[in-house]
Amino acid sequence: MKHGRGGRTSSGSGTAGVKQGFYTGRWSYWTLVLPILALIAMFFYIPVALAFFWSLFLERPFGGGSEFVGFQNYDRVLSDPEFWNAMWRTLIFMAIAPTLAIGLSLILALAADRGIRISQAARNIIIWPKAVAGASIGVVFVFIFNPFLGIFAPLNEMYPGIWNPRIDGGDAFATLVVAQVWNGIPFNFIILLSGLQAIPDGLAKAAAMDGSGPWRRIVDLQLPLLTPQLFLTFVLEFVGTVVEAFGLIDTMTQGGPGGATNLLIYKIYVDGFKAYDLSGAATQTALLMMFVIAMVILQFRLERFVKYER
Amino acid sequence: MTKLSFAACATAFLAGASSAHAAEIEFWYGNTGKIEEAIQTHCAAFNDAQSDHKITCVGQGGYEAGMQKAIAAYRSAQHPVLIQFFDAGTLDLMLSDAVVPVQEIMPDAPWDDYINGARSYYETSSGDLFSQPYNGSTLIFYANMEVLREAGIEEVPQSWEGVMDAARQLKAAGVECPFTSDAHPWRVLEQFSARHGAPIATNNNGYGGLDAEYTFNEGPVADHMLNLSKWREEGLVKLDQDTVAGKYNAAFNAGECAMMEASTGSYGAAYAALGDKVRITMAPMYEGVERRNTLIGGAAIWVMKGHDGADYEAAISFLNFVRDEDQQIEFTRRTGYMPVTKAALASLVASGKADTLEFATAEMGVASLNQPGDENSRGIRLGFYVQFREVFKEETQKAFNGDQTMQAALDNAVSRGNELLRRFEQTYRGVKLP
Repeated sequence: MKHGRGGRTSSGSGTAGVKQGFYTGRWSYWTLVLPILALIAMFFYIPVALAFFWSLFLERPFGGGSEFVGFQNYDRVLSDPEFWNAMWRTLIFMAIAPTLAIGLSLILALAADRGIRISQAARNIIIWPKAVAGASIGVVFVFIFNPFLGIFAPLNEMYPGIWNPRIDGGDAFATLVVAQVWNGIPFNFIILLSGLQAIPDGLAKAAAMDGSGPWRRIVDLQLPLLTPQLFLTFVLEFVGTVVEAFGLIDTMTQGGPGGATNLLIYKIYVDGFKAYDLSGAATQTALLMMFVIAMVILQFRLERFVKYER
Repeated sequence: MTKLSFAACATAFLAGASSAHAAEIEFWYGNTGKIEEAIQTHCAAFNDAQSDHKITCVGQGGYEAGMQKAIAAYRSAQHPVLIQFFDAGTLDLMLSDAVVPVQEIMPDAPWDDYINGARSYYETSSGDLFSQPYNGSTLIFYANMEVLREAGIEEVPQSWEGVMDAARQLKAAGVECPFTSDAHPWRVLEQFSARHGAPIATNNNGYGGLDAEYTFNEGPVADHMLNLSKWREEGLVKLDQDTVAGKYNAAFNAGECAMMEASTGSYGAAYAALGDKVRITMAPMYEGVERRNTLIGGAAIWVMKGHDGADYEAAISFLNFVRDEDQQIEFTRRTGYMPVTKAALASLVASGKADTLEFATAEMGVASLNQPGDENSRGIRLGFYVQFREVFKEETQKAFNGDQTMQAALDNAVSRGNELLRRFEQTYRGVKLP
């Protein structure tokens, strides 16, 4: 972003720049930051700390007799094949859904950016689904993929039983991926399109003058310059697939059939809230948290391939 | 009351508090829709009938949500005096140390009047009721007589053998879905084993102690599950996911399926959809097995700890109020749940209304609950049972989908269930089963 805030503090580090630039008094800085810090603490830091704490105890649902068991809960969870199945499904979901959600958004954004026919209208329309809540998307997709009434119903009439996400775990998983991708496209599209539009026209024109065609310009010019936006969408999509898939699973499959769509985030909910296994849910939360943190650290190590300079 | 040390403390603290001390209390319940309206009617009627106490009834949007909120509320001491909990959470609550047994707080109420299947589910091993049965249902069998007659069947089949003969006849007559169920453990495991007098776990399904172990992977339950899976392949049984409607009771009501096993609570909707084509009977038995009682479904009202004497007086007064025969009959009329005391049923029968449509399931449901019981038909007293139901559904679902054999599914469910039981035992180490 050429004219972004970064330009203003380009000489120093971010925080130093912010302090000198906007908030001269120490107190005004803290008064502005504290409310949000308090909120994050209340809804994130404290619950996470409690989850780590509870994961070391066998906790009775109504309280009154928790027993310190050290790492026994971790031992139990880590030796439970169901945990690893849920983890494995989460990983597969993390690999497929963001790739599709970003790949398709990129194609749409590149097309919309080229100013082809109806791209003006498309820029507007593609953003609309962003306004639909995850749970509502789930309800709609259940109907769309209904084996008897949905879009594949004719296929089922030709080959009975070929499509039924209520029975076939693979079909159910695919349905979930489609819904998640559909849910992710609008936001990725906005980010990628704005990134593309911020690339100076002159570069493309110069490349065209030098004789490079559209494909060449995408690969050598637009994609390298788009890496900051691609990086942002990947980080958000990865974290999103881990935690945001919950609403979709709850409305579409409840983890079924036979656990085929039971991702870790949904398993934690069922264990903790439906089954009163607070210790097990806390332990899995702690493990999931570590996993997400590890993923994000890994991604930020990849950040050195991102070109912020233009 | 003197039995209650905490109540005694509270009373001593409020020295001089008269018996007419007024209190405002809360009652949390989980039901929604028509049943919620009936509960609110109960509450309003109670408030109108007397002026000493005032009850506020708060809906929680579901049994499970109610339980979650109760756990959170109890931990922060914001919990109500009265709360409705569902059948599967019974043992979790008994050991929670968060509730007072109703028979302890009101020893003189007519507890023996409660029907067998309702009593045994909520009583301690020594036979004292822990909570007051409120909205009771049980499993019965439904048939769409119009479809059955078209296939030349005049009588509703009473045995599983009969059901499957009828199903074959229906299939031959071109009915795509002869019999439907969702294979939920409440239907195929709990109600099935109870009325066949078969255990699902040792220690009489846990009544004898926390060291029980699941055993249903052999014996009548296992045979029945293997049959279900075989019958499904034969096209005689359709599960939720095989039906166009997507849900067994919706499929029956839409006329897609000819027979189903379902709760008494499904009758209202079935009658609304199919009228007098619907015929009900007690849930089918395998031939040659003596019929035992079915278990009560629905929920009971529990009294929670940590309130003062006046609150408990109000709670007792409300519990007595909803036990009143007329109140029970009115509740039955509005909801399709069954009367839970013998007196209320007798009064219903005496009034001549038992045969009317609104009360059609009451007599049959109570008869099913009141069959002679044995040590395996008292109820389910197994820890983390809500979680076990999920395990059972997941494993058997995999078998129905063809990912594993039904026997492997049952074996897996048993071993995963036993892990849950052992963890429950460890969680409540040193706590004695009441």
